[in-house]
Amino acid sequence: MPGMNEQGGYKCALTYSFPHRFWLMKPSGITKVDIQSADSVHMMPIVWDAQTRIIPPDINPQLTITQDGESVDQFAPWPMLSQPMGFHFGDNAQLNGNGTYTVDVSIGGPSTRRTGSLAENQGDASFTFEFEFNQSTLDEISVTDLSEDKQGTKGAVDVMDMEMLPSSQVPKPDALPGDVRGTATSGDAKFVVTVLEDASRFGGTQDQVYLAVSPRTPYNRIMLPMMSLSGTLTRGGSSVFDGILQATIDPELRYHYGATVSDVQSGDELTITVDSPPQTARHEGYETAFVDMPSMTLTL
Amino acid sequence: METALQGIEHAYERSGKGLVLTVSYSPAYFDRFDEDLPESVALPAPKALAPFEDPELDTPDAVVHLASNTAQVVLGAEESLKGNKSTLNGVEQPDTALTDVFEIVDRRTGFVGDGLPAENAGDAEGVPADKVPEDAPLFMGFKSGFKKNQASEDRVTIQSGPFAGGTTQHISKLQLNLNQWYNQDDRWQREAKMFCPYHAENDVIEGTGDNLGTSSKIDDCKPVDETAREMGVVGHSQKSAAARENDTPIILRRDFNSTDGGQAGLHFLALQRGIGDFEKTRKAMNGTDVSKQSAVGQRNNNGILQYIRTERRGNYLVPPRSLRALPPAQPATNAQEVTDASS
Repeated sequence: MPGMNEQGGYKCALTYSFPHRFWLMKPSGITKVDIQSADSVHMMPIVWDAQTRIIPPDINPQLTITQDGESVDQFAPWPMLSQPMGFHFGDNAQLNGNGTYTVDVSIGGPSTRRTGSLAENQGDASFTFEFEFNQSTLDEISVTDLSEDKQGTKGAVDVMDMEMLPSSQVPKPDALPGDVRGTATSGDAKFVVTVLEDASRFGGTQDQVYLAVSPRTPYNRIMLPMMSLSGTLTRGGSSVFDGILQATIDPELRYHYGATVSDVQSGDELTITVDSPPQTARHEGYETAFVDMPSMTLTL
Repeated sequence: METALQGIEHAYERSGKGLVLTVSYSPAYFDRFDEDLPESVALPAPKALAPFEDPELDTPDAVVHLASNTAQVVLGAEESLKGNKSTLNGVEQPDTALTDVFEIVDRRTGFVGDGLPAENAGDAEGVPADKVPEDAPLFMGFKSGFKKNQASEDRVTIQSGPFAGGTTQHISKLQLNLNQWYNQDDRWQREAKMFCPYHAENDVIEGTGDNLGTSSKIDDCKPVDETAREMGVVGHSQKSAAARENDTPIILRRDFNSTDGGQAGLHFLALQRGIGDFEKTRKAMNGTDVSKQSAVGQRNNNGILQYIRTERRGNYLVPPRSLRALPPAQPATNAQEVTDASS
């Protein structure tokens, strides 16, 4: 992608589409967000770690849209799940009609536990994009990519080549590190369980193992961040672990939830409890999925 | 400078009906002196106070804060301090102006009080004028200065040293996103995020929250970590309560809304004994621990962080009255020691 912006260990692309309706989560259900008449575009800044190409859901970008130096709109886009766009940050923005706009995307430091090279990437970066908004172009295309143009041809809008963007997918079960011990399903989501020897990278010791749970959407393998998960590991009827599975971003496991335990033996029973389903906003098609999520039990 | 200040003080009584005035000085001002501030004054330079903010750090020498229940009083006092008025409220003004000593580098205006946000909504971009409740004292639609949510004046007063009797002041300039707040979130979400999910779930809050009386009834909310895990959302008041000492807040808020620059904003002005008390309160509001351990995000469902962008931060010392005009970093005479049961 020409003119991709990189700073502070992160890369950023700005993408947009026509305004979308979406749903916000709450404990008792969902809240529908209708398109307002003043909404011009659905704006989605995609920020990823340059080295691993992981899109970290814990870094909430802040958008500032200006035109000729005058403020037009500013907001922190919502973390969202969409079938075509996967996990992303997005919201409908209100522009002043056709014209050239400047969009600043700023990110701060992480807030989820990270391991490996990701732990060293502390963020604090900002990216500037310039684009020409044209209502008639927007009506014709589904998704437009905007990337900062280093060649200086301002206002060029290229049709997005999605293949150039990193994906928010997690690995297929057989590509996950460790010993994959099973898969459970809850609220349409798949939860793949794997056990890694040597938990030292995850805050444990070399003698301990790391029990990792990798939830994903059933068809697209999109990560499911911002859940409260807990687990109970029982052996012969008695509990050997009972605690939270902490959200963690690891270069190999990518976004997952896990805990260090002394060991995992064949025949152990693992119960995974979803204390809160993913608190990401939902695009159409995901508004009823991953909401009602009963606990799961697997024999490892 | 003292003459100029006394000029406006002689024109109005010292109260909300008249004029309430403070003068404060920044670390940048005190850096002009060879001596350091005494250890009894905790006045570090301003800094970012959340992992996701990148504010401009303010370094004016001094801040004059004028407040009144009557807007004309503030505007008149300002003109008098600039030397533009020979009489103020019928009282003759001195020839000396504050601007003989200072150059004005910034001016922030605003309002707080029932009905004012709705009245001023049209002056700022992106404010859903029809959604801000008619009687709300602040843009976000709820009362926030509950009596029991405020520190006492004693708790925020510097106790010893030459600046005893003074206080420290933090002023941040926050931009608000009221489109998400009013047009996307629903009432349940606003109540849960401002107060706590318990209040939203149990219909504790009527209208702007006047029915709550003198406190935001945070004791009824479950612990923050439990709410974060089980509901996936935590409230602003619920988190902030963690910064209390002996169940009492440690900062005294004097925040007010603004349409400066055509933007819906909040000038968050807080007084506390040392700047560390403010930093501790803000840290509690960040909810960093719950965002690590639960479905609550860095800003998403994390109180009102989603809707607030910190643009500027500044720290100041409000000296006692006897030292309010261009104080040295190490005043020669000790002001009177202050005794305070809460110290």
